[in-house]
Amino acid sequence: MMNSDFDSLHQVLSLRMLTPTAYVLRVERKGLEFKAGQHLLLGRNGSIESREYSVYSTESDDFFEVLVKEVDDGLVSKQLKQLKAGDKVKLDGPLGFFTLEPETIANGKFLFIATGTGISPFHSMVKSYPGLNYRLLHGVRYSNEAYDRQDYEPSRYILCTTGDQGGDFYGRVTDFLRKNPVLKDTHCFLCGNFNMIHEAFEILEQQGVPSSQVHAEVYF
Amino acid sequence: MKKIAFKTLGCRLNQYETDALASRFHSGSYEIVDFNQQADIYVVNTCTVTNQSDQKSRQTINQAHRQNSDAMVVVTGCMANNYKESLLESKNISYVVDNERKAAIFGIVEKHFRGEVADPEGFDRDVFSYEAAYKTFHTRSMIKIQDGCNNFCTFCIIPKVRGRATSRPAADIYQNIRSVVEHGFKEVVLTGVNIGRYNDNGLNFEQLVENILALPGDFRLRISSIEPDGFSDRFFQLFAHPKLTPHLHLCLQSGSESVLLRMRRMYTAKEFRAMADKLRSLYPDFNLTTDIITGFPGETEEDMEATLQLSRELKFSHIHTFKYSVRTGTRAERMPDQIPEKLKNQRSNAVRKVSEVNKREYFTQMIGKPQRLLVERFGADGVARGYGQNYIPIRLKAKGIEKNTFVDVVLDGIHEGKELEMTAVLL
Ligand SMILES: Cc1cc2nc3c(=O)[nH]c(=O)nc-3n(C[C@H](O)[C@H](O)[C@H](O)COP(=O)(O)OP(=O)(O)OC[C@H]3O[C@@H](n4cnc5c(N)ncnc54)[C@H](O)[C@@H]3O)c2cc1C
Repeated sequence: MMNSDFDSLHQVLSLRMLTPTAYVLRVERKGLEFKAGQHLLLGRNGSIESREYSVYSTESDDFFEVLVKEVDDGLVSKQLKQLKAGDKVKLDGPLGFFTLEPETIANGKFLFIATGTGISPFHSMVKSYPGLNYRLLHGVRYSNEAYDRQDYEPSRYILCTTGDQGGDFYGRVTDFLRKNPVLKDTHCFLCGNFNMIHEAFEILEQQGVPSSQVHAEVYF
Repeated sequence: MKKIAFKTLGCRLNQYETDALASRFHSGSYEIVDFNQQADIYVVNTCTVTNQSDQKSRQTINQAHRQNSDAMVVVTGCMANNYKESLLESKNISYVVDNERKAAIFGIVEKHFRGEVADPEGFDRDVFSYEAAYKTFHTRSMIKIQDGCNNFCTFCIIPKVRGRATSRPAADIYQNIRSVVEHGFKEVVLTGVNIGRYNDNGLNFEQLVENILALPGDFRLRISSIEPDGFSDRFFQLFAHPKLTPHLHLCLQSGSESVLLRMRRMYTAKEFRAMADKLRSLYPDFNLTTDIITGFPGETEEDMEATLQLSRELKFSHIHTFKYSVRTGTRAERMPDQIPEKLKNQRSNAVRKVSEVNKREYFTQMIGKPQRLLVERFGADGVARGYGQNYIPIRLKAKGIEKNTFVDVVLDGIHEGKELEMTAVLL
């Protein structure tokens, strides 16, 4: 199959657990070009199955990292969790168009909305462009899922939790968005669960943000 | 002289590639015969975009073998990439040639008949090394500008079988067009998997089209099938050029925002509507045609209604309707709420009905308007047939008309045949 011609094998450098089910997998980058927001196709060496994972690391890191949540009935998210330093993964990419427009980076206002591991591309963007003027809404069930929270400026990161009250806001990211309308000239990036994205699209439209300024990356 | 027959399934890109191959064999002293005839070599250029296309491809391969069990049967195209191993096991197939090596089929066949081992894997990969097709089955000349796709829509197998997006160098494209125009072709159709993403070292699709329009010669340019994402204002202005035909096949796939998101399409239904409105405000008779997939996993009655509604509103004069078909290895394969076949059929029929009504309305709107007919053929009744710049099929009864020439006509009615056509009189 043609796919295999594009895959190449990359060595696993480390696997760091963030919670019992979420982990950051670091693999060789091998000099591949990459823009913050893009994703990789990753799979176990020898398996025909692969899945998309947004890059978590920055444009200047000489490795790739991905933030993965092990899915209960999943396949690849479980397989990748078993990897150890020195193992190989097949990797294709980076791919995708969920990236910042270069001319907006210096002076643009950004709203990032993520559910779960959907925070990954924003981690890459924020760390790749330290001066970025952003606000990040992160929706999770429990407050221990505030992955690497210390990497964001505290005043810019808002943790929305639905399962406990340990976050900055008790409720869904879309509830927060309704209560805190955005300015029309904000560039909005939505990533993660389809239902959140669908709802957020509508809210942003009601708030007058033109659709050309709303970008979405649907995970599932 | 050896006889060779070709059969193409699927997209225009496949058609272009078959034409180019046929032209190569023709100039290499092979006789090209109809696929239903006895031949020494059969080339089947397959498609794997839906289950039906898999089935048709398999049937065609079997047909070739039945017609002449001693013939050399070469299978290429997307099925050759997607099901290589199982095809290689078939005794009815002599060679399985993947998409990247399709252009090498002439070399493979020649080598085979010299009695040498012609392992396709030993040939170079090059998705653009087709020679310009002068001897084709069409009067329009397709020009391949791009191959592959990086969009990864959740239903689509194409990134897997056509690979990543790559663009043909612009200089080669201009050269190719100059040469087909010199050979007398009057219409050039740009083709590729996702041509809007064309990029040759920073030269984008709009710039490419502008440069093509500036080439000398009496020809017109058709963009044909394109994905509705990332158009600049410049794109819409391009259609003011008299050489660029006012027609686009702009793939909508669904009119429901929620389905489009789950398909991971790059636009919203609202954005699509804005594009169509813009085209129609600039060019009121602009002809829009489209593709629609019915029965995508989770598609509700409400989603379907949104699709029908938008199709009516945007007045697509033709809708190519596909039933969603599970493709192994795509994200949509793993989505819940797959739709039963019966419901998919019902929904497809509903879309087809809208398409028929729209077509009739569009044709009616065009009565009394001028068109430049490119004469493609003459029917048994002596009636000239071809297409106008708006991609309307036209019938013209007139004397002294020649094939492959432009004729200025006025549309004067609708002809009810197997397919709806328009009739015209000389201007
Ligand atoms: C562009 C893109 C980028 C992605 N980036 C990431 C990323 O950075 N990190 C990440 O963890 N996942 C990401 N995903 C999802 C990822 O590709 C896989 O779908 C996920 O890891 C599950 O794969 P699996 O083989 O384990 O389970 P599968 O067998 O494929 O799926 C099992 C079920 O899990 C559900 N599911 C899928 N993803 C999730 C999830 N993240 N949380 C909860 N349920 C889910 C699916 O709806 C499915 O029903 C991304 C998806 C896309 C399209």
